[in-house]
This record gives sequence, C-alpha cells and structure tokens, in this order.
Amino acid sequence: MALLTRTTKDLILRINEFFDNIELGLIVFREGIKSYLEKDMEAFRNHIQKVETLENNADRLQREIENEMITHSILPQHREEVFNLIEGLDEIIDSVKRSLNEIDLERPEIPASLNKDFISLTETSAVCAEELIPAARAYFRAPFTVREKLLKVYYFESETDKISMNTKRRIFQELKDIDLAHKAHLRYIVHHIEGISDEAQKAADLLSAMAIKIVM
Amino acid sequence: MILFFLTSGLFLGWSLGANDASHVFGSAVGSRMVSFRKAAIIASIFVILGAVFQGSGAAHTLGKLGGINALGGSFTLALAAAITIYIMTKFSLPVSSTQAIVGAIIGWNLFTGNPTDSSTLSKIVLTWVIGPVLGAIFAVLLYIIIRRIKKASNIHLIRFESYIRTGLIIVGAFASYSLGANNIANVMGVFAPAFNLQDLHLGLFTLSSNQQLFLLGSLAIAVGILTYSRKVMETVGSNIVELTAEAALVVVLAESLVLFIFSSTGLSELFVKMGLPPIPLAPVSSSQVVVGCVIGIGIYKGARNINFKLLGQIALGWLTTPLMSGLLAFFSLFFMKNIFNIDVGHKITEGSQTISSTLVEADANMSAIIKYLLLGIVIAGTLLIIYYYLLSRKRTRELRQSEEKFWKNMK
Repeated sequence: MALLTRTTKDLILRINEFFDNIELGLIVFREGIKSYLEKDMEAFRNHIQKVETLENNADRLQREIENEMITHSILPQHREEVFNLIEGLDEIIDSVKRSLNEIDLERPEIPASLNKDFISLTETSAVCAEELIPAARAYFRAPFTVREKLLKVYYFESETDKISMNTKRRIFQELKDIDLAHKAHLRYIVHHIEGISDEAQKAADLLSAMAIKIVM
Repeated sequence: MILFFLTSGLFLGWSLGANDASHVFGSAVGSRMVSFRKAAIIASIFVILGAVFQGSGAAHTLGKLGGINALGGSFTLALAAAITIYIMTKFSLPVSSTQAIVGAIIGWNLFTGNPTDSSTLSKIVLTWVIGPVLGAIFAVLLYIIIRRIKKASNIHLIRFESYIRTGLIIVGAFASYSLGANNIANVMGVFAPAFNLQDLHLGLFTLSSNQQLFLLGSLAIAVGILTYSRKVMETVGSNIVELTAEAALVVVLAESLVLFIFSSTGLSELFVKMGLPPIPLAPVSSSQVVVGCVIGIGIYKGARNINFKLLGQIALGWLTTPLMSGLLAFFSLFFMKNIFNIDVGHKITEGSQTISSTLVEADANMSAIIKYLLLGIVIAGTLLIIYYYLLSRKRTRELRQSEEKFWKNMK
C-alpha cells in the first residue's frame, strides 16, 4: 500500500513537473525571440540552451510517466488519452526548440519595422500554448472546468492566425526594399512561430474530447 | 467410495469459483483497475479463509427446501448443479449457483416424491427479483454520492483512482470472504454429515472435520477462480456497459450491501420492531445483484451504452439455469437409482430424516491422506504466490535498469 501511495505521489509530481517544463519553455521562447530581435545574441544562445534542457527534461518525464502508468496500471481507461495529451504538449516544447534552433542556424534578417509584429506574434502564440497548461492541469483535478479554460486557447489561436496573416501581408505588400527570397525566408519564420499555437490547438481538441469523456 | 462421491462436490466448487468470483472482482477486472492475476489470487485466499472460518453458518438456508437424505443423492445434485454452472460459464454467461442448486433440489423433491416448501421457494424466488432491483437502486445512490464527493473535493484524478483501487481490493477481499462463507455450504454442506475426520492440528489453530471438508471445497473454488473465471469476469465487468473506476467500486459495494441486507437477521428484526414487514432472509444470487447494479449505473448514465442483447441472454440464463439444473438432476437421479443401483434418497416421513448411507467413522488413514493433501496444496499455493511476487519484482527491476541504461546512453 505504501508503495502504491508513493507511486501515486511521485507520478502526480512528475506530471506537474512536466507541465512546469512546458510553461517555462514558453516563457524562455518569448524571451529568446525578444533577445534575437534586440540583436543580443549571447542572451539568445542562453535561452536556446535553457529550452534544450527543458525539452530534455520533458522527454525524460514523459517517458517516466508512461512507464509508471503502464507498470502500475494507473488510469487504465484513460491512459492512452493521457499519453496522447502529454505527447501533444511535448510537441509544443519540441516546436519551441525547433523554432529557436532554426532561427539560430539561419539567422534571418528581420527588419526593425517588423519587430513589433514579430513580438506580438510570439506573444500571442506563446500565450495560446500557455493557456493550455491550466486546462491540462484541470483535467486531473476539476475536469468539468476544462472546456471553459480551453476557450482562451481557441481565442488566442485565432488571434495568432490574424497576426500571422497581417505580418505576412506586411512582408509581401509593404516591404518594397527587400527581395523575394528574403520575404520567403521571413514568411518561413512566421510559420515557425505560428506553429506553436497550432500545436496548442491540436492538444486542446484532444483535451476537450478527454474532458467530455471523463465528466460523463 | 466417499472420496468418489466428494468429486462432484469438488467439481461444483470449481464451477462456482469459475463463475462466482466474477461477482466480486468482475467490475474491477472489467474496468482494468485490478489485474486478473491479482484479483484471482486475492479472491482465492479470502474465499478459503471465509469458507474455513465462517462456512458453517450458511448450511441451513437450503435445508428447508429439501432435506437430501442419501449420499448418492447429494452426489447427483452437486453434479447436476456443477454441470449446469459449467455449461453456462462456458458460454460466458453469469449464472447463479444458488439457482442451480435450488433447481437441483426441486428436481430431487420431484423424483423422490417429497413436497417442495412453497413458502421457502417463493421467498427465494422473490429475492431473485428484489435483489437486482435493490442492487440497481443502491448502485445509483452510491454512484451519485461518490461523484459529488469527487467533484467537491477537487482531488487529483490519479490519487482518486488510487483510493478507488485500494477500495476495490479491500471490498473485493471482504466480498470474497463472504462468498466463501456463504457458498461453501452449497458446495460441501450436503457432504458434511457423512464425513468424519480427525482434527487437524496446525500449530496455531486446529481444523475440525467440517473445516477440513470446507477447506477442500474452498480449494476447489480457488482452482476454479484461477483457471476459468477470467471470461465471466470480463463479461460482467465490461460487456454490459463500460464501467468507470468509481462505478466498479460502487458495483461491489452495492452488491455487498444487498447481500448483507438479505442475510442479516438483526436488520430484519429491526424492521419488524419498526412495524415494517421482515426482510426475506434467503440466499440471494450475487450474479443477479451484480448485473442489477451494472444496469442501474448504465440507466443513470442515460442507458445509451447498455448492451441489451447481452442483457437478454443473461436474463434467459436466469430462467434456464434452475430449469436445466432441475431436469438434469431429475434424470441423473433416475439413472443413478435404476442403472447404477445407488440409493439417491427417499420420501421423508415424520422422524425418518436421516442420512441413509452409513456415517464414516474417524478413519486415521483417511485423515492422514487428507492432512497431507491439504498441507501439500497449501504449501504449493503459498510457494506459487511467492514465485509470482518475486517474478513481478524482477520485472520491475529489469524495467528500471533498462530505463537507467537508456538515459545513460542518451547522455
């Protein structure tokens, strides 16, 4: 019995730690993009390292959670869905890491006139993903509140889409002094940042269905 | 010869184990909260404890319906009931051992020309109807209470599930104990008067002749649980309606409550004192109560996910079980009496209600055989449990080592 209690406690701690990692990853992502736009490359590289550590931790925790749940047959009826949710959340931090790494590798030249747009896009996309975490936590404690929390995710995802469209419009229609290849490159970076909110929406769809099932 | 007669009782015990363990752990195994292996081991241990230490009380319940007065008759009835239960179990249908035995006793009454006590019979049949209905009501009420507590407490899902799992194991163990205590009489009660063994001293406690007999019977039940109960457990637990973890606990709790109500003389007396009609104290079919509980929850949740086809099959099983058992008993008694020339019983007249086979004297050789047999089985069972425990520990250790190796390589 003591073993079971300890396993339960450890597992709850691990799940919470996993969520913390994702939340921290999103904060670091925001700061990373800001430091890149401010041309502070040392801070940017520090942020990349932090994200890598957080992503590795998230992977380790994901594996441990899955092992624990399978070995001790925990939540047998909802286990697969919980695994999918954790996988979905892990995709978010993977996406964060990928975006920062690609920016680091490709070093896109972002015109100063677009800084505000990129900051706004990053902010909205990250907030969208951040709003998913309280909903995911609520699934374990108050599943009947999950859907109302998810409304914010859907709202910020649509806001991210709008900002992304506006940014791309500005890149292709207003910036006359840069060539097409440069524009295409900037669009590619916009897609990367926007991708985080898309991953959050995918996980939100899954979480929404999970919440209905568990409340029924 | 007496050992041969005992085989049908052991077969009945095996059938009962294969079938009735599903009432206790079916919902837990069906909802995948408890693994079949763990459920089977817990149920087996507690059935044996219940049968040995509290098995003597339930022997009187069926006695009123028909007093079997020959060992050959007991053998045939136990065999008829066992075959009926086996066939029903083979088709994965939850079947009531009480129904099978009641059917067989009525078959014996008809064959020997003894009257069937209609008031006892109607009392038993009435509980077959009230039991599931009451089970459904209790299940719905308990389900609502548990859901409200869960909602109000904001408890973590994994912690809540861990409490439910612990609850399922504790309630399941208690229900297994009750199952052993109540149903061992159905299995071995008819043989008890004809069996007389020397007391078995086991250091801490001594087993009387009846307790040794009940231990043998309960070991047969345990073998039934371990070897053949999986299919029925899964039918009860998941096929009628998919059960959640809390629903699984509610089903076992509601079942225990119903069984308690129908066997509690104290509660019945309290009802009478309060001016209410007494509770009919009769053997309730635990399988019917469980199905009632599962349906109750299914209806509360909207009845959309109830498998009505399977439900129809189960209801059909309830009708066919006593009928099949009764007919089988009747024809088997005919063959036993007319072809094998075995005394299967006779019409009871005033003052003649005795066992016609000679009572077996306390035979030292027989006692020694039973003693070593029981000790051997108990030791083998204990070793098997220890082996499984060590095996599961080894698997966990290997998994942890492979995990550590994986992360070491990753670094």
